[in-house]
Amino acid sequence: MRGENTAARATRAYTRVLRVLPEHLRQLHGSEMVSDFRRLAREAVERRRSVWVLWVRCAGDVVLRSAAERYRDSMDGSVAHERGRRDFREGFMDAIQTYRRALRALMRRPGFTAIAVLTLGLGVGANVAIFTVVNGVLFRPLPYPESDRIVVVRHHAPAINLEDMQSSPGMIELYRESARTLTRMAAVGMAQQNLAGTGQPERVDVVRVTPEFFEVMRVTPADGRVFREEDEAPGAPPVAILTHAGWRTRFGGDEQVIGRTVQFEGQTREIIGVMRPDFVFPDPDAVALLPMQMDPARPFGTFGLMSLARIAPGETLESVRAELNALRARIPERFPDVTQAFLDNSGFNASVEPLRTRLVEDVERALLLLLGSVGLVLLVAGANVANLFLVRAESRRREMAIRSALGASRAHVAGVFLAESMILGVSGGAVGLLLATIGVRALVLGGPIELPRLHEVGVDGTVLLFALALSVTAGLLLGVLPLPRLKSTGALLRDGGRGSTVGRSRHRTRKLLIVAQVAVALMLMIGSGLALRSVLRLRAVDPGFRAQDVLTVGVSLGENVDRQRAIAFYTRVLDELRALPGVQSVGAANALPVERSGLNGSSFEIESEPREEGELPPVSMYSAVMPGFLETLEIPILAGRAPVRHDAEGGPPVAWVTKTFADRFLGGDAIGQRVRFATDTVFAEIVGVVGDTRTFGLQEEIRPITYLPMNTTVFGVQLGIMRFVLRTNGDPHALVPAVRAVVARADGTVPLTNARTMEEVLARSIAQTSFTVTLLLIAAASALVLGVVGLYGVISYVVSGRAQEIGVRIALGARPAQVRAMVVRQGLVLTLAGVVLGVAAAAASARWASSMLFEVSAYDPVTFVVTAIVITAVSAFAAYLPARRAAAVDPVKALRQE
Amino acid sequence: MKTQAFHILLALREGAAHGFEIRRRVAERTEGEVRLWPATLYGTIRQLSAEGLLEALEGEDDPDEDARKRYYRLTARGRAELLAEADRLESLARAARGTRPVRPT
Repeated sequence: MRGENTAARATRAYTRVLRVLPEHLRQLHGSEMVSDFRRLAREAVERRRSVWVLWVRCAGDVVLRSAAERYRDSMDGSVAHERGRRDFREGFMDAIQTYRRALRALMRRPGFTAIAVLTLGLGVGANVAIFTVVNGVLFRPLPYPESDRIVVVRHHAPAINLEDMQSSPGMIELYRESARTLTRMAAVGMAQQNLAGTGQPERVDVVRVTPEFFEVMRVTPADGRVFREEDEAPGAPPVAILTHAGWRTRFGGDEQVIGRTVQFEGQTREIIGVMRPDFVFPDPDAVALLPMQMDPARPFGTFGLMSLARIAPGETLESVRAELNALRARIPERFPDVTQAFLDNSGFNASVEPLRTRLVEDVERALLLLLGSVGLVLLVAGANVANLFLVRAESRRREMAIRSALGASRAHVAGVFLAESMILGVSGGAVGLLLATIGVRALVLGGPIELPRLHEVGVDGTVLLFALALSVTAGLLLGVLPLPRLKSTGALLRDGGRGSTVGRSRHRTRKLLIVAQVAVALMLMIGSGLALRSVLRLRAVDPGFRAQDVLTVGVSLGENVDRQRAIAFYTRVLDELRALPGVQSVGAANALPVERSGLNGSSFEIESEPREEGELPPVSMYSAVMPGFLETLEIPILAGRAPVRHDAEGGPPVAWVTKTFADRFLGGDAIGQRVRFATDTVFAEIVGVVGDTRTFGLQEEIRPITYLPMNTTVFGVQLGIMRFVLRTNGDPHALVPAVRAVVARADGTVPLTNARTMEEVLARSIAQTSFTVTLLLIAAASALVLGVVGLYGVISYVVSGRAQEIGVRIALGARPAQVRAMVVRQGLVLTLAGVVLGVAAAAASARWASSMLFEVSAYDPVTFVVTAIVITAVSAFAAYLPARRAAAVDPVKALRQE
Repeated sequence: MKTQAFHILLALREGAAHGFEIRRRVAERTEGEVRLWPATLYGTIRQLSAEGLLEALEGEDDPDEDARKRYYRLTARGRAELLAEADRLESLARAARGTRPVRPT
C-alpha cells in the first residue's frame, strides 16, 4: 500500500534525524519517539494529510530540542563531559562565526551576490514550479482511500480500428457477475445537461454514476445520502446529489438544500445529498451526480461507459487482467450475436489500469519532458554561478594562503567557501520557492492548459523538501568546486601572486563547465526546435475546411428531446439565423470537425459487396448534418450533391461520405452505392462525396466519415445539442448577441453554449501542445543566454589574465586581427566541443522524444544543423567582445605592469 | 515552570499514561493549542523525571508495538509542584484581571 510505504519511509527518515539528539536522551527515549512518530505518520495517512509535512515538523522539533538539550547540558552537568561540551560549543560558535563572516563577505560584493542568487533562484524556481505540477498531477495518490486499488477497465479491438473503447453495459454486467478479482464495479458517464430552476437556463456538466460508484471510490457525502440500488431502477423517483461546487455556486451554500428540487433536462429531481469539497472526480466543473440507468437490455455493443472497479483484497492488477481476459470465452454464450471468431479476428481484449495512470497518461510524458528540460536549465544556471564563484575564489587565493600560513586548517579554509556557497544556494532556493509559488498560482488560476487534477496542485511538504534538496545540493557543489585549487596556496604566497603567465590547468574546470553548458543548451535547443517544427507542421495541416470568419455556437434542447420536435426547432433557428444581417451562410451538425465530441462510429455493410463469414466489417464515424453545413465550412463537394432540406423531411434515406471513405471502401466510386450501419434497418444511398476533415484533431489521422440527414435512424445520433456554424461578413463575435436573441425568441429555456470562432476551435485543439512548446522554447532560450553569458565571462577572464602576454605579442608585431582571431578561436574550440557533445546527447535521447513529435523526425537534420549554427554564431559573438578588448591592449601599459 | 512541563504534569494527574497518550490528553485539553512533538515531549519527560516530579513504570510487552511501552506517573513531589504552580498561575491571572494584587502595596 502506498500510504503505508510513505509512513514507513518517513519513519526511517525520522529515525536518522534522531541521531542529532544527545546520546543519553536518545538511549533513554529514542525508541519511544520512533514508535510515536510511526503512529503519527499512520494517522496522517488515514486523514490524508501529508506525511512529509509531519516529518518536517517533527524533524524541526528534534533539531530545536537537540539545541536546547545541549545548551542545558553546557550550563550545568558533570565535569566529565565538560571538555566535549566545550568543544561542541566552540565548534558551534565557530560555525556561526564562519557564516557571519561569509555573509559579510557576500554583502561586500552585492553585484556578484545578487547575480548568483537570482540566477540560482530562477533555475530553482523553474524546477520547483514544474515539480509542483508534476508532484500534484503525477506523483500524489488520488484523494481516496487505497486509491491505487481503483482501476479502470477498457476494451480494445485493434483489428477493426477500435483501439480504445470503454466498457459496455453488457460487459459490466458480465464482470459484475463473474469477476472474483474485483469487489465492485461502477459505471460512470460524463454528460452535459440543461439545468433550470436556479436562474438563467444553462448547460452544465453532470456525472452519471451507478450506486456502486460510492463504494468503489469510498467517498461519503457531506450531507444527505448517496444513491441506492432503488434509485437506478426504472421509474424510481428522480434524485440528484450536488457536488460541493454545484452546491456553492447554484444554491449559495444553502444548509437546507436536502429535499429541494432542481431541473435537469426538464425533469424535476429531488436533491438527496451534497458531496464534500475534496470530491472533484472526474470533472471539477460538474455540478451534480445523477443516478445512471444502464441500458436494461445490457447489449454487448455501445462501449461508451467508463467502468471503475476496486481490486479485491489479495488480488493484483495482473490477476485482474488475466481473469477479465479469460472471461472473454464467456461472451459468445452470453451475447448470441457475437461469435468467438469475431472476437478473435478483431483482437478483442480488456485492459486494466489504475485510475491514476488513466487520468494522467496523456500528460505524463509532456510533464516529465518539461521537468527534465528545466532540470537542464538549472544545470546551466548552476554552471554559470560556479564559474562566477571560481573566479571569485581565484581572486581570493592570496587571502586563503595567508590564512593557511597563519595556521588555519584546510578544513577551515574549505569551510569559508562552503559557508558562502551554502548561503548562496539557500538564498537562491528561497527566491526560487517564492517565484515557483507565484508561477504555480498563475498556472493553476489562469493557465492555458487543461491538466487533469490541476485543482489538486499546490506547494506541499514534498515540494518543500524538493526545493530544500535542490538548494542544498547546489550550495554543496558550488562550495566543493574551488577546493582542489587550494592545494597549491603555499606556492602562491611565495611568488607573490604575480603569475607572469596563467597556468592552463587553472582554467580547466571553467572550460569544462563551458563545454557542458554549451552541450546542454544545444540539447535543449534541438529538443525545443523539434517541438516547434512539430507545432508549425500542425498549424499548417489543412483541417479540410476554411475556418476564417466562421462563428460556431451550440444550441441545446437536452437529451430527452423528441426527434421531430428537435428537427422542427433547429430548422426554424437555422432559417432565422440565415436571415440575420451580416450572415453569408449558415448550417449545423451534431458534431464539429477537430473537436472530439458528438461523433459516433459503428461498423456498416455495403449492399453491393456482401461480406463473407468471419470477415471483419468496415467501420466509419458518422454525424448528422443540416443543409448548409458543408457549404458554410467550405468543405468541398467532390461528387454528387449537397444536403437539402427535403432529405430530412421524408425523402428516401441518403448519405454523404468523405473522400477517404470512398477511396478505402468503394474504390473511389461511391455515388449510387448503398450502405447500412450495423444498428440501422435500412440502406441509405450515397448521393455525395465530400472532402476529408480532421475530425479528431489536427494531429490525428484522417478517418472515414459519413454524414447523414437529421432524421436518420442510425443508433446514437443525438440531437440534444446542435452546433451551428455561421460564415459572417466581419467579426464573428459581434454576431453572438443576435444569435442569442434568435434562440431566445424560439424558446426562452434553451441555452446557448460554446460561442467561439472556428479559428478558436482550431487553436484550442493544439493549445496544450503550443503551451508545452512555449515552455520548452523559454527553457532553451534561458539555457542559451546563460550558456553564452558564461562563455563570455570565461573568455573575458582568460583574456584579462593574459593581458601581459598579449601585450608582449603586440609589441613583437602581432596584428590586432591575429590577436582577435586567437581569442575567438579559443572560444570556438570550447563551443565546438560542446556542440559535438550536445548533438550526441540529443541524438541519444531522440528515440524517447519521437513519440511527441508530429511529422518531424527526431533526427531532423534541419533542426540539428540550424541550432548548431545558431549556438556557434552566438558563441563566436560572445568571444569576439573580449577579443576586441584583447586586441586593443596597449603593449606599453601591459609591459609596464610587469 | 515551562508551559509544556506544566501540561505534561497536568495530563498525568488523570492517571499514569504512556507518551502518546500524554500527547493526546494535552492536545485535547488545550483543543489542539499545545502540540507536543516527540523530541520535545520526551526531552521534557526526561527533565521532569531527573527533577523527581514524575517516574517511569515499565509496562507489559505490547505485541503491537516494537517499543516497550513505558508508563509515566506523577510522584508525590510532582503533584505538590503542580498544585503550587497552579496556585501561582491563578494568582497571576487574578492579578492580571485586577481582582487582587499579587503583593499588597
